[in-house]
Amino acid sequence: MRSIVEFKGVTRAYGSRLALDDVHLALEPGELSFLVGPSGAGKTTLLKLINREIRPTSGEVWVDGIAAHSLKASHVADVRKRVGVVFQDYKLLPRLTAMENVALALQVSDLRVSDEEASDRALDALEAVGLGDRGKAFPHQLSGGQQQRVAVARAVVAQPPLLIADEPTGNLDIDTSWEMMDLFGDIAAFGTAVLIATHNVEIVRRLQRRVLTLVQGRLVRDQPAGRTGRLAWLASS
Amino acid sequence: MAGVVLRGRFPRRRMVQVVATNVFRYIFRGAARNWVRNMGSTAPALGSMTLLLFLSGVIGLSGLALYNLEQVEAGQASVLHVYVRDNAASADVDALWDRLAQDPRVASVAFTTRAEALKRAQRIPGLPQLADASESNPFPASLDVQVKKIDDVAAIDVLVRNDIAVDTSYPTSYDQGAYQRIQAVLFGVAVAGLAFLALLAFVAVTVTVNSIRAAIHSRRDEVAIMQLVGAPRWMVRGPFVVEGAITGGLAGVVGGAVTFGLAMTGMAAGSSSFAQFAPGITVTVAALAAGIVFAAGLGLGSGSSLVSLRRHLES
Repeated sequence: MRSIVEFKGVTRAYGSRLALDDVHLALEPGELSFLVGPSGAGKTTLLKLINREIRPTSGEVWVDGIAAHSLKASHVADVRKRVGVVFQDYKLLPRLTAMENVALALQVSDLRVSDEEASDRALDALEAVGLGDRGKAFPHQLSGGQQQRVAVARAVVAQPPLLIADEPTGNLDIDTSWEMMDLFGDIAAFGTAVLIATHNVEIVRRLQRRVLTLVQGRLVRDQPAGRTGRLAWLASS
Repeated sequence: MAGVVLRGRFPRRRMVQVVATNVFRYIFRGAARNWVRNMGSTAPALGSMTLLLFLSGVIGLSGLALYNLEQVEAGQASVLHVYVRDNAASADVDALWDRLAQDPRVASVAFTTRAEALKRAQRIPGLPQLADASESNPFPASLDVQVKKIDDVAAIDVLVRNDIAVDTSYPTSYDQGAYQRIQAVLFGVAVAGLAFLALLAFVAVTVTVNSIRAAIHSRRDEVAIMQLVGAPRWMVRGPFVVEGAITGGLAGVVGGAVTFGLAMTGMAAGSSSFAQFAPGITVTVAALAAGIVFAAGLGLGSGSSLVSLRRHLES
């Protein structure tokens, strides 16, 4: 089975500072993994490399069979159609309703999607995240947890093979954070690979999923699912 | 046949309609909405571009008129009027005519009587009053010599000015360097006009580039989200290009309309003298100039947007 994401000796430097240093990893379909590490360890850089927001200084980044490391700027959308993204600050368009935010992601990535189809699929996605009745609400009318659910619905509405989330629970209370994690678990169960960058130690410990630990740009530990290991990054944070 | 899924083809016509609707919504309607929203920051670009396009139209029409004038002058400069003495004998005039007609440098020779000279003068602005002021006809008869090469006019002048049939006071119409002086003046006017337009174009493009930069900055979150959810590059950039085209198009409409209006006003105010001072400027030419100004506005606006996008929008 082909990996959804594969890093081969990836290094990314900002000037003289190494944000990622010779990282090798592979993510499989349906796998939910955590990406942990202290601030500045390179978590966000790694996610940006997957979404082709930046290019590696050296090494190869493969996303669903596409060579993201050598992709021209004009073809970046090819990668981004395959990657759903969730951010800590939700990044919803304030002038659009929840349903329009979700439908937008569908239609801008595929112009062949009609309004009716976009609305139906957006509503399905919102129902899947428990917000079927809030489709007409604008982002400012929703709580933080609800906005994050809309962001998740937007990320998965096109059914991408990969979902990446950068500190998705950073602005949420603990109960809402657990709800979000249940949601990510459900998404992974349907075959989508999910990679979550987080600082939330409690969630990482209790879920016992695969944990990738970055420290100073190096992948220092790749702990398989089902094991409760020492979170190495805690020592250096 | 429970459980069988029939997969039908999505009708092509319907797909084209859906794609067209989405493109219109995200590129054109989005651009129009954003243009209205950013009208305040677009106003300086609109103003400078309107001024540029209007002046381009006026200078373009003036340039065409000057070019036509220069052509008329060139034609006139190669014709040497040899003024015949009032009491010259017909035989002397015929002899001079024959001599000129046989000269290999001469293309043709025609005789203009005093009456024809008067009629011709009355068609030239300012001269009718002069002609009417005198009871007798002040214009002499002439042999109009069309020279093959404009450089030979001086030699023909030397050849004829002491002939017995030629007027001693004003032998010919030859004015050394007149044509060169006209050419030099026209060249100077053209260079100054083009330099002025280039300066104005630089200002207009700079202002438009900055207004698009401001639009990109004010919508950077929206742009980032569009990019992150997989919008192709042309869909992210398209609305900005259309916004620039709207600005340029509006400026072109105003600039073109004012240019056309000015030309029409000029033609209506003095049709005979206008045709003398601005030869070749007709309603069709003015309408064509307005169309070119509009097209230039569209190009300038969208081009400036592209420059700004290349500089200020990350992929």
